[in-house]
Amino acid sequence: MAAAAPEILEQLRETVRRMEGRAASRPGFLTSGRAEIDRLLPGGGFRRGAISELTGGLASGKTAIALQTIAAVTHEHGLAAFVDGRHELYPPAAAALGVDLDRLLILRPGGQGKGDDAARACLWAAEALLASGAFEVVALDVPLLPARPGRIDGRIDLDRMVQRLRAAAEKGGAAGLWLGVPGTRISSAARLDLSRADRRTPALTVAYHAA
Amino acid sequence: MQLELGVVAAAEASASAAPRILAMCVPDLSLQRVLRAREMATIDRRMRAPLAVEREGRILSCDPEARARGVRPGELLAQASAACADLEVVAADVSADRAALEALAEALLALAPSVEIAWPDALLVDASGAHLLAEDEGAGEMELLRRAVALAGDLGLRCRAALANGRAPSRALARHGGGATPIAPAALVEALAGLPMEALELAPPLAKRIAALGLRAVGDLARIPADTLAHRFGVAGLAAWRLARGHDPTPLVPFVPRRLPEEHVDLDAPVDRAEPLLFVLKRMSDLLATRLAGRGLGATRLHLVLRLDPTGEERLDIGLAVPSSAATRWLLVLRERLAELRLPGSVVGLVLTVAQAAPASTEQLVVGDRPERLLALETVLARLQARLGDGALFSAIPADRHRPEAAYLPSTFVSTTRPATGREVVAAVPEGVVRPTRLLAPPQPLMALGEGGRLTAVRFGGRTLRVLALSPAERLAGEWWSDPFDRDYHRATLEGLGDCWIYRDAGDGRLWLHGFFD
Repeated sequence: MAAAAPEILEQLRETVRRMEGRAASRPGFLTSGRAEIDRLLPGGGFRRGAISELTGGLASGKTAIALQTIAAVTHEHGLAAFVDGRHELYPPAAAALGVDLDRLLILRPGGQGKGDDAARACLWAAEALLASGAFEVVALDVPLLPARPGRIDGRIDLDRMVQRLRAAAEKGGAAGLWLGVPGTRISSAARLDLSRADRRTPALTVAYHAA
Repeated sequence: MQLELGVVAAAEASASAAPRILAMCVPDLSLQRVLRAREMATIDRRMRAPLAVEREGRILSCDPEARARGVRPGELLAQASAACADLEVVAADVSADRAALEALAEALLALAPSVEIAWPDALLVDASGAHLLAEDEGAGEMELLRRAVALAGDLGLRCRAALANGRAPSRALARHGGGATPIAPAALVEALAGLPMEALELAPPLAKRIAALGLRAVGDLARIPADTLAHRFGVAGLAAWRLARGHDPTPLVPFVPRRLPEEHVDLDAPVDRAEPLLFVLKRMSDLLATRLAGRGLGATRLHLVLRLDPTGEERLDIGLAVPSSAATRWLLVLRERLAELRLPGSVVGLVLTVAQAAPASTEQLVVGDRPERLLALETVLARLQARLGDGALFSAIPADRHRPEAAYLPSTFVSTTRPATGREVVAAVPEGVVRPTRLLAPPQPLMALGEGGRLTAVRFGGRTLRVLALSPAERLAGEWWSDPFDRDYHRATLEGLGDCWIYRDAGDGRLWLHGFFD
């Protein structure tokens, strides 16, 4: 009886999912909520237990993709976190994109500055969230200084920090979404370069680079 | 004879109708409390000395080691010191004893609807709901008894317990009886019969007169005809006889905790490292959490005071992300805070207080929620809050405001259960209206460049950016009663930046960059 309980629960979840008309989630991957992006990603979504990178300029659409991924997760009653190091995330827009705000944890560590401490606090918080096993997806927007690629304020070894984030994501099974800016690049499972959207291109163009 | 039969029958009937009470007696409460405090404060266990508690120059009680060295309760302090030169003597502290008893009562509220403090050494617990703990009433009462004794053990107190009908009979059985099994109503008179007369706690003059008759055991009194006792001792005699036959229908006087719990420890040696402090804090947290759980509360804020050597103190105010009565969660937070603390001196004492508490609601799981995930969530939230501080983590609630920067409010992240938050849900953004994913605080000034009244470019960050597209204006205005604003918002595609949210302030006509459609 005890052994059958997880199966019954799984059947119940599946029944509820069909009743609510939600798409079946692919094991090991999270849908981005946009078919054209899912098609570009191997496995059809962002990999769980890994860090994926969304890179682009200030208005490239990377945050919208992260929020749509979060919306898909919260729609399936999962929990999501957004480490908002720049203190710029606008929750009403997230809600408009379909995010259940009750299931989105927003973190704004420290002051609003781009200092070393703020970046450190963001990375520490992201690591804790990814490793916890409580969240399906953790979006991470770190206020990095682009002055010296690979270093935050010349002191933090970014590669080492990302390595820790990857280990944490692997431990907790969460999908990590790193919102990067042009000029910094991390060692990620997949990288979506949205920089072309900054130009005069009317529609969003996505270039995919496998890490 | 007829009168006596009537009285006996009435007494038997009312004895069985009296409430079922679990009495818990803490023998040598002062000594147990001091030993517990010493256990909590002990960093080095080799530093222990034989211990005794004294009151008015006489030994009240002593630990087994002191007893083995010849110290006896009741003897003079000088005699005890002569028998055991290194005897550590602690003065009895009535208020501390009372506090210890209240703490146990608080914790026992987790097992029963009401608890009475029967000073100086006992607690009376309402056992009327014991049948809910097992399939039959007897097994339920046995389970309640077991759990109550175990709970007292968790608080570092050894108890004698008895469960019977009525306050006085159960208390008498706990203080003077031998067994720890529930006494059925029919067996109560027999169970009381073997107890000494002082178990009835009669008024001294009456007790003296009864003793003068040669009555030593409760059973001796119970066997005397009621009318004889009534004739000889009046109403008091009849009342004593009723007690001897287990008749006490008086209700419990419930104990109501008035303050949030606090524990303090004086360390037996100065400590300057985090690990030994955490060791002590674990014991303190266990005690506090057990007490808080009894009241169905969870701590939301803790105060920790570290008393330093030789003077001074360090105060820590610790917020918890969700109400919790789990000491392990508190310790996660305490560990985080202690790890980053740099103290100017060694710690010689600690005071841990539950400064704020809220009802610890039971979790309602939905399909998709898993208990282990809830545990993981609570743990990580506690760690984050401890490290990042209040206000750093939140969930957003849409607010019905036109001013964009005020269109949401931060709220405590509680999401483990689906809806039923009871709050009015406000649409975050009206349908068909788009908002930027990033909002700048404060807005950044733009310099408008145009031709013939048309905006063609802006100057931002030392660069000139051409305006590639501009949406019609959306006017947002209001709050004239407090801080009026009047803005014309546009979605503008700026060369090199992408889609931005800009507005012209109707007050001064200046142009501002307020967000990005990132």
